[in-house]
Amino acid sequence: MTALLAVARYEFRMQARKRSLWIAATLLGGALIVLQGDRGPRSLPVGTPAREVMGTWALLFAILMPLAYGMLLADRLVRDRKLRVEPLLESLPHAPATRLAGKYLGGIGACALPGLAALLLAAITELPKRHDPALIGWALVAFVVVTLPGIAMVAGFALVCPVIVSVPLFRVLFVGYWFWGNMLAPDFLPSLTGTLLTPIGDYGATWLLANGHTALFAGTPGFLSFLRPDPSAATAALSVAVVVLCGLIPLAAAAVVAHRSTRQTWPSKA
Amino acid sequence: MHIEIADLRRRFGRVTALDGVDLTVAGGMFGLLGTNGAGKTTLMRILAGVLPATSGRVIAGGHDLSTRAGRVAVQRRLGYLPQDLGLYPDLTPTEFLDYVGLLKGLDDRAARRRQAAELLDLVGLSDVAGRKLKGFSGGMRRRVGIAQALLGDPALLIVDEPTVGLDPEERIRFRTLLSSLADARTVLLSTHIVEDVAQTCRQTAVLAGGRVAFTGAVTDLTARAEGVTWEIVTPGPPPTDGVVVSAIARTDGTHYRVVSPQPPAPDAVLVTPSLEEGYVALMRSAAPAPVG
Amino acid sequence: MTLTIWLHEARRAGPAALLAPPAALLFAAAIAVFIRATNGSRAQAQTLLLAGLEAITPLAVAMVALTIVTRESCRELHLSLPTPHLATIGRRLGVLGAVAAVLCLAYAAVVALAGYRTGSSGVAALLVWAAPTLWLAGFAALVAAATRSTVLASSAVALVWLAEQVWASAFVGSPLLRPLFLFFTSRVGDGPGWAANRVGLLAGGLLFLAVTAAVLSKPERLLSEEDA
Repeated sequence: MTALLAVARYEFRMQARKRSLWIAATLLGGALIVLQGDRGPRSLPVGTPAREVMGTWALLFAILMPLAYGMLLADRLVRDRKLRVEPLLESLPHAPATRLAGKYLGGIGACALPGLAALLLAAITELPKRHDPALIGWALVAFVVVTLPGIAMVAGFALVCPVIVSVPLFRVLFVGYWFWGNMLAPDFLPSLTGTLLTPIGDYGATWLLANGHTALFAGTPGFLSFLRPDPSAATAALSVAVVVLCGLIPLAAAAVVAHRSTRQTWPSKA
Repeated sequence: MHIEIADLRRRFGRVTALDGVDLTVAGGMFGLLGTNGAGKTTLMRILAGVLPATSGRVIAGGHDLSTRAGRVAVQRRLGYLPQDLGLYPDLTPTEFLDYVGLLKGLDDRAARRRQAAELLDLVGLSDVAGRKLKGFSGGMRRRVGIAQALLGDPALLIVDEPTVGLDPEERIRFRTLLSSLADARTVLLSTHIVEDVAQTCRQTAVLAGGRVAFTGAVTDLTARAEGVTWEIVTPGPPPTDGVVVSAIARTDGTHYRVVSPQPPAPDAVLVTPSLEEGYVALMRSAAPAPVG
Repeated sequence: MTLTIWLHEARRAGPAALLAPPAALLFAAAIAVFIRATNGSRAQAQTLLLAGLEAITPLAVAMVALTIVTRESCRELHLSLPTPHLATIGRRLGVLGAVAAVLCLAYAAVVALAGYRTGSSGVAALLVWAAPTLWLAGFAALVAAATRSTVLASSAVALVWLAEQVWASAFVGSPLLRPLFLFFTSRVGDGPGWAANRVGLLAGGLLFLAVTAAVLSKPERLLSEEDA
């Protein structure tokens, strides 16, 4: 446990210090603020409930900001090999799975910082207009329900997949997937958009809106209909759980592979 | 290749890496000494045409390195081994040399391959010429580095910290190889390992804080420690006066060699200095030494 | 010599340079086949096939291009060689462009033989994929050269690509943004405004590449490893 926390802490520090994380997150978040148009949270009338305002902000940021997290995390494992620190890390007594889990947790922590900062800033800038201190509280709720699960899923895939498909190819697939699996209308092409599996936080945001409309496409009929229940508090919670668990699948697979390869190479090392 | 450097300066933002360097390299093997951060690598990079100078002049083989034409002309006759040479792990030494040879303008395929084979033989890598570079040890990687630097039979060879990380045997072999190469060309050896210069160079310069603190014969640098190098034998703690250059524990006590203007102990004995002690004496002196 | 150096540079460009464009096209084709196999409409399949050329290939080429610009393990050695490093990077980008071009031509031919339409016919058909690919790859190379950060460059490419997908109508509707719109053929068609859009993209792409070359000609911009 100590090793896990140590790896997570240093991974968090290393990534949170990267200027590129903050610049990329600011770039993407800023673009969203500019591009939101009249359907964005700034256009919501005064008197709109705080949970709806912050749910809309969280969904808006979730459109693009996770791309920065995916790009950042894509070379974290490949980088160890490139910088020739992998042999050193492998010589340490903790299991490879611990290192992987630590990197995963540290990565989530670092990427969560700009995500949380964006929502809190949005809440603070809304305060003078809406005079509702609950905005801050709902910003935190929106962060937990919409932002964080998406980061967890992105982190799981972004850490592991580039080792298999190379970093540039992963980045292409990730951007393509983000559009296809989160924003492409399900009646246009078969896609995961509007299912419980969408890391953009569609179900969570729909629950926060609580106005009878879906945030994007949550529950819209389409491909894999069993993954498209009607939006509610329960299905929002289920979506959060499913999205987080999805992110753990590549990590678990990588941990099993690493464990097996350690067991195979151990006798020859001895 | 004759090199003339005049009032060379290089700044990186607020940091001054080179602060008015004047230096002449006539030919043969020339050692460039200095502490880490003294500006050696920056100077090597400017001489290799990798970095432009902020101001000052460098003339190498009659070519002015401040012009693009001059830089390319020097680079055509240059072999360069950077301090941190990354290799392509997916290539074999033969393929790597073939690639670098092409980029050096060696267009004749047969001649290029023949030269690559000869150089791999020279650096003792013929047996592994077909193996991927990813499995090579530090010493083997350095030898691939020197082989690529020698492609095209360069008139100027610049090697930056070539022996870092090598085992003693590899280091001796490397030094011998560099010395033998200096017969027909100018070899600029940048290092912070004084022993490497002592064993290979007749001429040397010492950089400190981006300036030339000394330039001249290696024997003259050694002479800087004459009259200030002492040996004392004591079972007790090391002397506190001066700089302890070596400490060897023997049955009669620990033999300390100390560079100090005054005797570090009443029973200290003046001894003949080594180049390392000359270097220490130089670095201890506050003002730069007179050039000569 | 010429062929040998190009073969070397093809290897140095990395497997991604050779694999990403075909992977992008195969991906689009596979989904189109899946759509048809699951009783999807012919129009849906055609849209997907066109997206392979106009949207997915440019994204793949751009991601590889920024990697080519930022990643080089022997940078200092290259800068000491008489062959300009800019020429070396140019050759690698050229390999990437050639691979993408050959595959797009083959893909477009197969798609046409299968009875689907992917925009204009004749030489203009090249611009369906060449114009957005050049623009996005040039943009990727420029951001990569200026920032030396794959994270920033790939995020910027992702931002542009996704923003143009999500806010397509804003790009089409604005005379200022229309020359930057990558997906004109698939979203609007190849009617009025298409040629101007393609010329705008080509001009923008060439401008990006020219500025990239200017940035890369300063060696100190290349020597320090990505640390951002």
